[in-house]
Amino acid sequence: MSQPPSRSERVNLSMADVLLACGDLQGLNIMCEMFAGFGVHSPRRCQTLVECKAVAQERPINLIVIDSALADAEGYEFISWLRRAELDPNSFAPVILVTGHTKPSQVFRGRDAGASFVVAKPAAPMVMMQRIVWLMNDQRKFVSSPGYCGPDRRVKALGPPVGMKGRRHDDLSADVGIAKTPNLEQDEIDALFSPKAVSL
Amino acid sequence: MTSKARVFAVENKLAQITREPGGRTIENAVRAAETRVESTRGASISSLVEKAEQMTVLAAEGRASGDLSAFGAIYDVSNAIFGLAGSFGLKALAEAAFSLCDLADWFRGGEPANWPAIDVHVDGIRLLATLGDKAGAAGADSILEGLRRVRARVLPAA
Repeated sequence: MSQPPSRSERVNLSMADVLLACGDLQGLNIMCEMFAGFGVHSPRRCQTLVECKAVAQERPINLIVIDSALADAEGYEFISWLRRAELDPNSFAPVILVTGHTKPSQVFRGRDAGASFVVAKPAAPMVMMQRIVWLMNDQRKFVSSPGYCGPDRRVKALGPPVGMKGRRHDDLSADVGIAKTPNLEQDEIDALFSPKAVSL
Repeated sequence: MTSKARVFAVENKLAQITREPGGRTIENAVRAAETRVESTRGASISSLVEKAEQMTVLAAEGRASGDLSAFGAIYDVSNAIFGLAGSFGLKALAEAAFSLCDLADWFRGGEPANWPAIDVHVDGIRLLATLGDKAGAAGADSILEGLRRVRARVLPAA
């Protein structure tokens, strides 16, 4: 997780199309009040998987917040469906999965379904806002493979584990090869550190 | 779908929209959200009591029928109670509901049902939900202590 956002930073959610889904009506009401406080106008409210699918097929959505417990299914099912539904741009929309009674296996299940973030209840407004700000800065690529479809699950770009060959096409070898160009002269190195006036 | 993994960049539309001029500072947005969530406290407490009553009925029906699906229904209601209680700082109620989720999840997996353990949880949850904010720390602790002992006797140690 990156640094917490500055409290004076501005976030404009007034134009965002947001889908909020929770199987429990009162839980959904609380979610809607929270997002109204964030400045979201008229979020799409859903209690069932069927409603979620209908909304996702109807119009572009900028953010989806879904409880793991829907009235007729589990939130994971919707996320898995969405990621493979080939609905551009909604299949790539950021999804925050909110979980209640959570076992570690369910956190992994949410991540493996393609959720951008898994948040455990109670999800206080500050926690939710931090996750939204994190998603605003999210530059992860999207992965589509037979076993997984969703944002790259590797949040940190630290390279492959020590002693292993990376699987990304842009992973670099840990071994430094032989120089392909001549070494820099000392005055060339010095020049890199000496300030110079530039005209802009 | 191809058999190979495709990795590609996607446009972060959320970032574009939320950085439009206007909006609210995070501090103001969070404060407004907290106020609005708090405004639902009364309705939420009423909903908690209703859910606790609903769970009493589900437990009685499940015990009578011996149907394993009753544990799924109890789990769902208890999970909803856990979420609502946590939103309003009702920690004792949230913990009791979480414990019942553990039990219901265990029994719905096919383990021999222990209905007295379910019943004592349902009763504890109903009492804590009815008391709401008025549940004193000492009273809530003694209920929780009892539920923890029941849970430890029924479920294998983690």
